Amino acid sequence: MLPAADITACDREPIRVPGAIQPHGYLLALDAEGLAVRHWSANWGEPAVARQALADLDRSKLRSLVPGHAAVAVGEFHRNGQPLSAWAHRLGDTVIVEFEPRATRQALEAPLYELARDFLPQLQGVSSVETVLDIAARELKRLTGFGRCLIYRFDADGHGEVLAQAIDPGYDSYEGHHFPAPDIPRQARELYLANRFRLIPDAHYEPVPLQATDASAASPDLSLAYLRSVSPVHLEYMRNMGTLASMSVSIVVDGKLWGLASCHHHQPLFLVPEVRAACSHLGQLLSMLVEAREANAEVESRGALRKITLELVAHLSDSDPTLRGLVSEPALLLRMAHATGAAVVLDDQAWAVGDTPDEPQLLEMADWVSGMGRDVYDVDQLASVFPLAQPGQGGQPGRNAVAGVLALSISRVHRHVIFWFRPEIVKTITWAGDPRKEMVADGTGRIHPRRSFDSWVEQLGGRSRPWSTAEVSAVTELRQALIGIVLKRAEEVAAVANELGRVNKELEAFSYTVSHDLRAPMRHIAGYVDLVLESEGSLLGPRSHRYLGHVKDASAFAGQLVDALLDFSRMGRSALKRRDVNGEEMVDSLVRELSRQESARNITWKVAPGLPALYADPVLLQVAARNLLANAVKYTRKQPAPVVVIRPVAADGLVGIEVEDNGVGFQMQYVGKLFGVFQRLHKAEDFDGTGIGLANVKRIVERHGGRVWARGEPGVGATFGFLLPPKNESLSADPA
Amino acid sequence: MIKPILLVEDDPRDLELTLLALERSQLANEVVVLRDGAQALEYLSREGEYAARDEGNPAVILLDLKLPKVNGLEVLEAVRKSATLRAIPVVMLTSSQEETDLVRSYELGVNAYVVKPVEFKMFVSAIADLGVFWAVLNEPPPGSLKAARIYE
Repeated sequence: MLPAADITACDREPIRVPGAIQPHGYLLALDAEGLAVRHWSANWGEPAVARQALADLDRSKLRSLVPGHAAVAVGEFHRNGQPLSAWAHRLGDTVIVEFEPRATRQALEAPLYELARDFLPQLQGVSSVETVLDIAARELKRLTGFGRCLIYRFDADGHGEVLAQAIDPGYDSYEGHHFPAPDIPRQARELYLANRFRLIPDAHYEPVPLQATDASAASPDLSLAYLRSVSPVHLEYMRNMGTLASMSVSIVVDGKLWGLASCHHHQPLFLVPEVRAACSHLGQLLSMLVEAREANAEVESRGALRKITLELVAHLSDSDPTLRGLVSEPALLLRMAHATGAAVVLDDQAWAVGDTPDEPQLLEMADWVSGMGRDVYDVDQLASVFPLAQPGQGGQPGRNAVAGVLALSISRVHRHVIFWFRPEIVKTITWAGDPRKEMVADGTGRIHPRRSFDSWVEQLGGRSRPWSTAEVSAVTELRQALIGIVLKRAEEVAAVANELGRVNKELEAFSYTVSHDLRAPMRHIAGYVDLVLESEGSLLGPRSHRYLGHVKDASAFAGQLVDALLDFSRMGRSALKRRDVNGEEMVDSLVRELSRQESARNITWKVAPGLPALYADPVLLQVAARNLLANAVKYTRKQPAPVVVIRPVAADGLVGIEVEDNGVGFQMQYVGKLFGVFQRLHKAEDFDGTGIGLANVKRIVERHGGRVWARGEPGVGATFGFLLPPKNESLSADPA
Repeated sequence: MIKPILLVEDDPRDLELTLLALERSQLANEVVVLRDGAQALEYLSREGEYAARDEGNPAVILLDLKLPKVNGLEVLEAVRKSATLRAIPVVMLTSSQEETDLVRSYELGVNAYVVKPVEFKMFVSAIADLGVFWAVLNEPPPGSLKAARIYE
């Protein structure tokens, strides 16, 4: 930041109404209605001479002047043998006529024509603004003969930076130099917008005062006058610079003062009106060229950023639909805002790539940004608006790494913010003078511009490269796209939920039909075979008995399958009624039940201590646990010394139970099939069952948010287990 | 006089099996067979085809759930709504284990809900048990006669 002292006294000088002109011409101020002389410059000598000059002018042209328009030629006048050309313009109800000396001998061709012939073709095919300015600086110098022509651009803070220069030997180079903002006071900038050309042929001039025909008339506004006398402070500045003649041509882009072409000469230098007109046109040409080139560059940069935005969005919609997915493409995310760090904050969590503040700071910043109620916020000097940790504090990158922030607030309701960070650029700037030693008041109260023009190197601390409009609009576009994705996802989820509901209903209707219409024929087959065997059994041979036995068994098995399938479907649909379940008690009672059923077999049950307390639907959980234990019993049937071990397991914050047996086991390559519906790894005559038991276990456990697994080795044994989320997690994430 | 057992069943094979089972349970009650829900309601309210039948309610209604025209649940609902029929025990006989049917039946005040077993032997014993319980053992509401076994 520049010190406050540079709000200069110049800002208050009445530069538009100086009451005087430069002495290289003559001026008349007329009443726009009657064309009566109101003011005349004292160098006319007598008002009568001034009136005589007026009499020679084209009065119809003078009457048709449009206020605010550029000056037009209105005639000629010879004074003391010197031809003067007269130019008039109107401002308000005053017509200003300026008489300037013109060349006694006409040049062979008008400078304007030279400009069109020599300068314009050089610009063809040149795309960079810098090259255009270079060519323009050379052309300006050639046209005018000034010893040094600079073209500089103003940044957002009003500091000028020299972008192009053409100099004669003996002139200091200002290439790459910066002019501090106060060198051109605010007022002067406004005037540069209104009057785009200014010439001071001799900084040693004595101002010529304006005389009023009527003492009560206010001094005329000379904003648009070429002869306007400039501030004595400026003349002193020029003399200090060793510049006796200067010329400025404004470059105006999008209605703003983009920059200046500024020419200096060590000696006084006068320009004839024709050259002056050519320079004015050059300025306008430059304004248009720069505007077009900048617009092109802007379009190009927007195009490039847009491409990145689209890539990011495509990546998000393809893979991870949450905002968090942004950080999985760190290169794109950083490139789209030309940042060195980026972070996504979703409520209480933050994910970061590159150089960013730590998580607590990110969350704090997210609060701060959300609190502004703005979609996009950018700042290139974060430390001035948000208290950041000092560099190196706690080992995190401090203000050096995150001097600039671009923040995108995705939601007005939630704390969903995306940040981009830029490091401090310690700008090394070659000032043409030290902006901190601006004005020195002497004893008389008169202000002097500084006298030293030695370049001074200033370091701008705590600032990042500013965020460009293209970057800001790219992230704004990203916001739209992200919101689009989020909305689309929500719609998709809703559609899937709808579809699921419909499919579930269909499934219910289907299983209803199955239960009724499939079960009845099974019952009939079994029933009537029974009746045949009962009433006519004595008439049938043993073969018929065996066949009918098969019919009966088959129908009974088909009935069981139907029942199992219905159970399975019901298990997926019925509401979970979770309670605390004592794992030890559940296993103990199941072991007792199975021991009773298998009392003929000598099964060794090893129940490890510390079986966990579970939180699950007790009925469903028991179905699952019984299945695992019954499987262990079933598949150890051929083992002379069957051992079933039941032990607690815990992993990833989940708790559960594991059942290990020393039965027939299975090949691990089929493990994926074990939990499928009607999947069997053994021949039906080896082990009975419908093949739906483990599918039930899986379905029950997964509906509780848990998981199942199996390990096995043929001939050695198998282990099956399940893990369930503990009570507090089940409560918070209970699916309806 | 012994009140009849009302059997409402549309499937001919199920009907035959059920009748056989009832026969084997040796109940003395006459079995009145109706083939759809509309018929059952006409019989119970002595309307239409059954306008001329003798007065008196059956000892128990064995009601298939899935019936043409008026289904079992609707018959049950009508019975429970009628002041004169309300007290008749109703047993829902069905192939379905569908929970919603079960819940709905009990909401409507069914006395028992029986899923027909696949095995004929089990089917016979289930029907016999039902008949014995509802027609013999169960104390009927005042005013209705208790059924008796043929051999008693």
